Amino acid sequence: MTARWQAIVRLLAVQAAWTYERMTGIGVGHAAAPLLRHHLRSQPREAQLAAIARSAEFFNSHPYLAGVAVGAVVRAERDGTQGPTILRLRTALSGPLGALGDQLVWAGQVPALIGLAVAAVPWMGASAVLLAVIVHNVLRLGLTVWGLDLGLREGLAVGGALQRSWLPRRADDAQRLAAFAVGLAVPVAGWFLLRQVPSVSALSVIGVGVLGGVLAVASPTRSRVTGLRVGLALVAVTLLVVGGAR
Amino acid sequence: MSPAIALALWGWGIIVTVDLVSAPQGLLSRPVVASSVAGLLAGDLAAGLLVGVALELYALDVLPIGAARYPDYGAASVTAGAAAALTPNAPALALAGLIGLPLAILGGWTLHLHRRRTAESIHRRLARVAAGEARAIWELQRNGLIRDAGRGVVLSGVGLLTILAAAAFPWSAFPRMALVGGATVAGGLAAALGGALRSGGQGARRRWLAVGLATGLLLVLAQ
Repeated sequence: MTARWQAIVRLLAVQAAWTYERMTGIGVGHAAAPLLRHHLRSQPREAQLAAIARSAEFFNSHPYLAGVAVGAVVRAERDGTQGPTILRLRTALSGPLGALGDQLVWAGQVPALIGLAVAAVPWMGASAVLLAVIVHNVLRLGLTVWGLDLGLREGLAVGGALQRSWLPRRADDAQRLAAFAVGLAVPVAGWFLLRQVPSVSALSVIGVGVLGGVLAVASPTRSRVTGLRVGLALVAVTLLVVGGAR
Repeated sequence: MSPAIALALWGWGIIVTVDLVSAPQGLLSRPVVASSVAGLLAGDLAAGLLVGVALELYALDVLPIGAARYPDYGAASVTAGAAAALTPNAPALALAGLIGLPLAILGGWTLHLHRRRTAESIHRRLARVAAGEARAIWELQRNGLIRDAGRGVVLSGVGLLTILAAAAFPWSAFPRMALVGGATVAGGLAAALGGALRSGGQGARRRWLAVGLATGLLLVLAQ
């Protein structure tokens, strides 16, 4: 396996040693190691060790975009860039890669695909779910490979290249699609699920659900009310009623 | 539950647990995926899918950003989906609420514990990592994966015991238990709606959310 593919495979587990202190730092160092060994093989051992140590320092980014930083840092090390400059590059990339990835993937692609899959379940069944998983993983692998190659190509100029790329625009689009998909999924899933409990008043369930949703976003209650807490409270209260009426 | 099914569910629970944050983060830990496969393994895909959709509404409220702490719905969904498939006399949606939600909180707590243990592991190897020793970095990654798999072993083990308890429970003695299913759905709708409104912000995204809601309502009314 080439060093590039070793790095790609390792990037799939970039958060395996995630901590609150170093975040993805160790994972990024692990992914960068084969590329550093390959590109710095003609350099003294001390230089190689220093490069590996730098690559494993604190780093925070979205896991799917960590490859951008891995590629850029490896390219900078290969070009003989000074250590402090490489550390500044890592610091500069940390925020944008985290924010862009969160917008594109966690707030975009994932809820969009899951929302569409959930909305399609009543008609397509489990094949809608399977399709979402396949599409997500194709996009995820593509993004990882694209990010690593972009970093390797651009090196220190990767920040500008990232801004000029399709990523910021698609992040916005993905979030809009996610908003639409989740909006679509909520009534369809409610209808699909409530068909299974004909003894329960659908209007009551919808009314309580909407009230819970409003409480979860209203400024006086949003810090304390989460969907999970609403659900657990409702289940507990209903359980008491069911037990009492036995 | 046969030993083969128990073993398959245990294995699937471990895969799902590791998928959430370690590898490969490929949506396997999403409730609708984890529960559907669990239902399939336990012999009733439809029951698993139903539970998965219910729990997915809760998971749509979660944005796993940065150092945020959140529930882990993976193994919880496997357990609830398999319990629904293996306990046909119990209302599936009630099982989603009674089993899935508490186990998701337990999963989230173990995730926090796992991260603390990883931090301790890094502290022990700090000097070697700072010296650029690639083996120390590899050990940290390997141990992180093993620890996360261990989390899956525990969560799935608890899940299997929960499934056995659900199978032994006298559901027919509680004829109104379907109400708990209604409560689970109401909570799920609140979660998904609250999450969508929060991440929808104020501008174009909220308009897209409104368009989605309207389209969904029209689809439902057309049925």
